Amino acid sequence: MDAFKLMKELRVNCEQEVHYLPKVTGLRAIESTAPGDSRISAKCRDAKVEDLWSLTSFFGYSTQTFVLAVNLLDRFLAMMKIQPKHLSCISLSCLHMAAKVTEKECNLTPTDELIRIGQCRFTVSDLARMEKIVTEKLNFKSKAVTALTFLHLYHQIALSHCTDRKTTLSLEKLEAQLKACLCRISFSKAKPSVLALALLRQEIEAVQSEDMLEIASHIQRHLKIVDADLVLWSKCVAQCLSDYASPECSKPDHRKLQWIVSRRTAQSLHSYRSVPELPTIPEGCWDESESEDSCEDMMSSGEESLSSSLGSDAEGSFFPPHLRRQNQRQYLYA
Amino acid sequence: MVVHRDSSGPIHRAMSSAATTAPSVDKVDGFSRKSVRKAKQKRSQSSSQFRSQGKPIELTPLPLLKDVPASEQPELFLKKLQQCCTVFDFMDTLSDLKMKEYKRSTLNELVDYVTVSRGYLTEQAYPEVVKMVSHNIFRTLPPSDSNEFDPEEDEPTLEASWPHLQLVYEFFIRFLESQEFQPSIAKKYIDQKFVLQLLELFDSEDPRERDYLKTVLHRIYGKFLGLRAFIRKQINNIFLRFVYETEHFNGVAELLEILGSIINGFALPLKAEHKQFLVKVLIPLHTVRSLSLFHAQLAYCIVQFLEKDPTLTEPVIRGLLKFWPKTCSQKEVMFLGELEEILDVIEPTQFVKIQEPLFKQISRCVSSPHFQVAERALYYWNNEYIMSLIEENSSVILPIMFASLYRISKEHWNPAIVALVYNVLKAFMEMNSTLFDELTATYKSDRQREKKKEKEREELWKKLEDLELKRGLRSDGIIPT
Repeated sequence: MDAFKLMKELRVNCEQEVHYLPKVTGLRAIESTAPGDSRISAKCRDAKVEDLWSLTSFFGYSTQTFVLAVNLLDRFLAMMKIQPKHLSCISLSCLHMAAKVTEKECNLTPTDELIRIGQCRFTVSDLARMEKIVTEKLNFKSKAVTALTFLHLYHQIALSHCTDRKTTLSLEKLEAQLKACLCRISFSKAKPSVLALALLRQEIEAVQSEDMLEIASHIQRHLKIVDADLVLWSKCVAQCLSDYASPECSKPDHRKLQWIVSRRTAQSLHSYRSVPELPTIPEGCWDESESEDSCEDMMSSGEESLSSSLGSDAEGSFFPPHLRRQNQRQYLYA
Repeated sequence: MVVHRDSSGPIHRAMSSAATTAPSVDKVDGFSRKSVRKAKQKRSQSSSQFRSQGKPIELTPLPLLKDVPASEQPELFLKKLQQCCTVFDFMDTLSDLKMKEYKRSTLNELVDYVTVSRGYLTEQAYPEVVKMVSHNIFRTLPPSDSNEFDPEEDEPTLEASWPHLQLVYEFFIRFLESQEFQPSIAKKYIDQKFVLQLLELFDSEDPRERDYLKTVLHRIYGKFLGLRAFIRKQINNIFLRFVYETEHFNGVAELLEILGSIINGFALPLKAEHKQFLVKVLIPLHTVRSLSLFHAQLAYCIVQFLEKDPTLTEPVIRGLLKFWPKTCSQKEVMFLGELEEILDVIEPTQFVKIQEPLFKQISRCVSSPHFQVAERALYYWNNEYIMSLIEENSSVILPIMFASLYRISKEHWNPAIVALVYNVLKAFMEMNSTLFDELTATYKSDRQREKKKEKEREELWKKLEDLELKRGLRSDGIIPT
């Protein structure tokens, strides 16, 4: 697409994006809820979105599916008071709905497999019902405008305008960073065009391309994005990405995951923890005297010669009898 | 039995003739079921004590020890011991019943006497005790009943003279454990020759006998310091013969159990002899076909060694990886279990040394089409300590595991395995997200490149075919075959 058309498309999307924003009041309500409450908290939602990311990756779904699913989820949560126990059903139905729109039918994972891998407790019919509810509430239209839409457009514009062949922006990297941001509910408050631009800018700054920086400013002016907004979200993005890339890994909460093994494996798992019945026989330093032993050791070492100087087999008067026997008894009858 | 409509004559005929007779339980798919065949065998007994002559054995009944004044007891004790040297034939169930009973009750009496009495153990008693025990237990073991005795499947042949033999063992153990027992006197009679004969008995098929032998040898090892090196050397020889020559010995598990208690008591630093034993004998023991019979004891010995000296970790794990089973899945599962136990006690510095070859093997196990192997390997990720080690080294381990995990998440036939793989991938995702993203991207681009190459190859073939057709048509209108 040529530059002019791209810019036009940008503007069209910018006008549309407001229709697909989740209610800010609803998002704020979630953010202010404490964890453990009867309603959804930010932590709850974030964990669920991370699960969605895992599932997306596992089933080979595209980033578009994920971003769309999160968009649907946030819009729904901002609109309705949801109990935490329904959250996994809602999130999975959003994922399935997004996948039906974006993915090829042959790549679509059936719902029973979704539920099994996601280790959820509801049924396929529950999921179908929830899909209907979400569709109704959101007046679901198949083409939502998300941050990813903008990211793709920005990327194309940047590439087409850029004269310097050497610097390239990796779209995959940008997509991964967007996914990382979406795992935090605060970013759902941002306008998608602004969020995408913030991501673009920080990546451009990382590759240090003057050309692209100019293009980014051009886009900003074209879409009339306020500086203050951009600066605010750029800061948030920077913080999020530095956490994401930090070498300190967040300890995976694998306790939440079910590890179901077959009966035979489960049986063999515990067979090794057997406590031996025989009491320990301590090795003494006087052990290896071989005065009675005419055959040499298979692998004798020089250390042996030391002990032989202690007397024939330490049964003589060198060691007081009561001490000797006591030691043995202690261990043998422990 | 299903008969297929088969066009090939002889097979069809054979199958149809078989179909007329009722399918025997023994044959499933043409292979006889071993377990069914074996279940028909009843518990067999055997013994090598046979009656030489027809003359019945006569023993003069002696008074009971408790009925005799204390001063006479030691001499009576000796006489009873001498009487018990007589050995009876239990294969002939009808012979000498009265005398067998007499010997049995005498032995019983002796067991009690040794347990409770004081001051009965004179110097003369020692040689008589050892003589009585030797006469009863030292014998050539009877040959196995069936030619192909499979220790895992078949019932063992039991010792027929067990009613006496058990009491002899019981008596000997109490004797060794008695408060009055003095190794300094006993060592004249319990010598290397005695120990050698004792060790040969470990090949007995009767598990009860081996259990008693285990206790006997354990006590002897504990009390006779001068015999320890000799015992260790002989056990070495038995194991080496077992591994490299015969692959037959029934008492490996019991000997390993004794060794476990010895290893547990090793002084630090470990002697070179012990380290050699670990590398030259214990590790090769893993290669034997009948590993399942003694694997728990072997694994225990290995772990004990590593707890004593963690620097042995690297040679041990490398040894296991070298001998990793390639065709026996049951053994692979055992190896994985042992490896997990080793990892449970491994030090982080040692872990780093072997993590690469180790996880390369685990990556292969995880993608094994045998679901039990894959399942057991994936279950490592449920072990908290192993997880913490993986987390610390995720940048090394993740790239090794990634490709096979990702592949089997799409391709494995077993749904339970796919679910476990999800758990593992999820754990990795959370552990090191940026690395995971990179690996996913490279994996996807690799796959795309492969697909592209595949497509190009197909197109090339198609072009060649078209070319061939065109050429054929042009010349004379006939397509060459």
